[in-house]
Amino acid sequence: MFTPGSKFFLGLTGFSLAVCVLYIALVDNATGGAVALLSIAAASGVVAGLSLFNRDGEVAVGDTAAPAGAEQLPSSMWPLIASVGFVGVVAGLITHPIVFFLGLIALLAAGTEWLVQSWSEGASSDKAYNASLRGRMLHPLEFPVLALVGLGIIILSFSRVMLAVSRDAGAIIFIVAGAVVLFVGAIFALKPSLKKTLVVGICVASAVGVAASGIAAASNGLRDDLVKAKKEHHFSHKECGEEEGEHFDHLAEGTISMRSNPIATVELRDGKLTARELGVDKVTQTITFPRSNDATIIFRNKDEKEARLTAYLGTKAVQDGVVEEVLNCTQMIGIDHEQALTFKIAKPSMASEKPYTLTVPGLEGQSIEIMVP
Amino acid sequence: MSTTTRRIVAGVSGLAATSFLAGCAKDAPQDTWQPKGSNAKIIDDLQQPVFAIAGVVGVIVFCVVVYCIIKFRDRGQAMPEQTHGKPALEIGMTILPALILAGVGVFTFRTVFDLSKTSDTQMVVNVTGQQWWWEYDYPAQPELGITAPIITSGQMVIPVGTKVLLRETSRDVIHSYWIPALNGKRDAVPGRVHTLRLDADKPGIYAGQCTEFCGLSHANMRMETIALSKEDFAAWVANQLADAKSPAENTLAKEGEAVFLNQCVRCHQVNGLKKADGTPAIAAPDENVWSGAAPNLTHLMSRNTFAGASWDLLNKKCRADVWGASSETVGKKYLAGVSEECLNQTDLRRWLRNAPAMKPMYADPKQLTPTNGKYRGMPNLGLSEDDIDKLVAYLSTLK
Repeated sequence: MFTPGSKFFLGLTGFSLAVCVLYIALVDNATGGAVALLSIAAASGVVAGLSLFNRDGEVAVGDTAAPAGAEQLPSSMWPLIASVGFVGVVAGLITHPIVFFLGLIALLAAGTEWLVQSWSEGASSDKAYNASLRGRMLHPLEFPVLALVGLGIIILSFSRVMLAVSRDAGAIIFIVAGAVVLFVGAIFALKPSLKKTLVVGICVASAVGVAASGIAAASNGLRDDLVKAKKEHHFSHKECGEEEGEHFDHLAEGTISMRSNPIATVELRDGKLTARELGVDKVTQTITFPRSNDATIIFRNKDEKEARLTAYLGTKAVQDGVVEEVLNCTQMIGIDHEQALTFKIAKPSMASEKPYTLTVPGLEGQSIEIMVP
Repeated sequence: MSTTTRRIVAGVSGLAATSFLAGCAKDAPQDTWQPKGSNAKIIDDLQQPVFAIAGVVGVIVFCVVVYCIIKFRDRGQAMPEQTHGKPALEIGMTILPALILAGVGVFTFRTVFDLSKTSDTQMVVNVTGQQWWWEYDYPAQPELGITAPIITSGQMVIPVGTKVLLRETSRDVIHSYWIPALNGKRDAVPGRVHTLRLDADKPGIYAGQCTEFCGLSHANMRMETIALSKEDFAAWVANQLADAKSPAENTLAKEGEAVFLNQCVRCHQVNGLKKADGTPAIAAPDENVWSGAAPNLTHLMSRNTFAGASWDLLNKKCRADVWGASSETVGKKYLAGVSEECLNQTDLRRWLRNAPAMKPMYADPKQLTPTNGKYRGMPNLGLSEDDIDKLVAYLSTLK
């Protein structure tokens, strides 16, 4: 009943399963090894089934041989991709989810393509008809996916280039690239007689060039000012001491998200600090701040020198018997500039010995009280 | 008429009649067709004609489709002559809807701008949504008698005929504030402040509900706006500004205060409540609740509802008396608060006994890993019946 080949693979399956059971029972944190052993068991089990089904590939009496001169079916790359996908799925289970999902996508794509191709190749004896049948089934799926992947690669590559080069170089590259695309596109449109191979060659070379530039730029990393800006905590500055940050919003209300976002705007003008709450058309020295909720204040400097806004947010115990003030500050804001300051106050005003306040260091007798109900 | 046809006609007629009669419901506090404030009227002035136009177009299309289905149904007749295109009809059928939409668009834009006007605001209330209740804090506005910030929840109280600006935000996920009788919806988004204007023509209780799906108990996140006359509003403000008074010694309520200090003050603030050493008891919801806040209970019994306005603090009889009151008497009845006779002890006790059993919340300690051990909503505190008796007695004093 069992062929020699199938016996070998069935034995391997049983052995793998037995080892897997022992491994799980005896080894702590056995997930990775168990997955590997189960994968071996599954793979050898499938091969055992195949081996059993085709009797180890031996021709039996009564089998009909293929007619002489019968056309061989073209080779297919899908089994190879499917196996790569399967390996990716298994490897991803013990390494990283991204590997798992890439493997799964490859497995599903290869499975679908393989299935439809096999079905279409057996539809008739006419190769051209079979190919058109396959196209009708798969092209509506293949073309959008390929376009998406291609565009995604080009956009991602181009963005890496723009983040790696200086601002000025970025602007020049953008203008030049746009002009080249427009020019080449116009040539293609005006000269429909151009050889198809030439058009395809130009497009492929350009795409490869952009992708290669993207890879080179990505391996080079972000340009210096972006690296530094990334280290600074935008909107949650705590620079109440020596100035470090450079990359912050100099005109915070100019950004769309800030227009409806701030709970109040605090302005320094002619040595006076005043506030305006959102929706209330009058100045005030007291603003109400939501409790336990991040909220944003915009500080606008209309004075004649640089200034920073400091928020006093109560105290916190740093060790037994030692408390320190909790401060949050903007950077030093230039004249006519502004910055958003986001913070959260968890306790109501009644929990603080001193009122929560907004002040400008060096400006005596001026403060905005923050009421937290 | 065949039996099948008769059944279809009867079924369709029944559905139509049911839909028509549903529109006659009297107890429909969230009816969008009964505006009670100027902004709601602005919306109504737009939606009435738009609905009429849409209705007429809908009826015409429906009739034409039904006519075609019946008139040209397959009766075995020969295939009629097929023609391609009819430019005059096609152009006409493109231009006519475009004109209708352009007309509707003009009035819609005007309405949007009218609704966004805030320059003549007379009062401000900060509205904060969180899973699953609404908090209202009133900044100090001395011209309205609000000399210090007021904080309350569930029911927002406003003076009648006053243009109130709501500044909405959220502490956790996106919610949406909607009192249909007073204005349209506005999302409350974490990290942002959105404005919405309300005003009420007459004193009354106007119901609403969160209209942005916000998690397990979204359906239990309700709210009411209470519009009071200027005099009644002044009385309400005066009461809200006062601290809670400690109950008399040797009473059940005093024992309840001790239970409150032991269990509830971890999250719920009662202004004026003092610890045994005489220092103020400050709640720390930021350490226990994911959203960082829990309702302030200083004047719990001045509200008619609790638990996200989903359950009544008033029993059925008293609730019907307040909600059914005329605009002349509703203020006085609301300001009377929840008396001992009117307290809905059943639901309040059920809530204290096991809150998550009444309102689905992420209160199972086993499910708190994603929130670093903090609750979303009130957990089951495992209170004894004795403690519940004491707490009810204490809470009843928070007028």
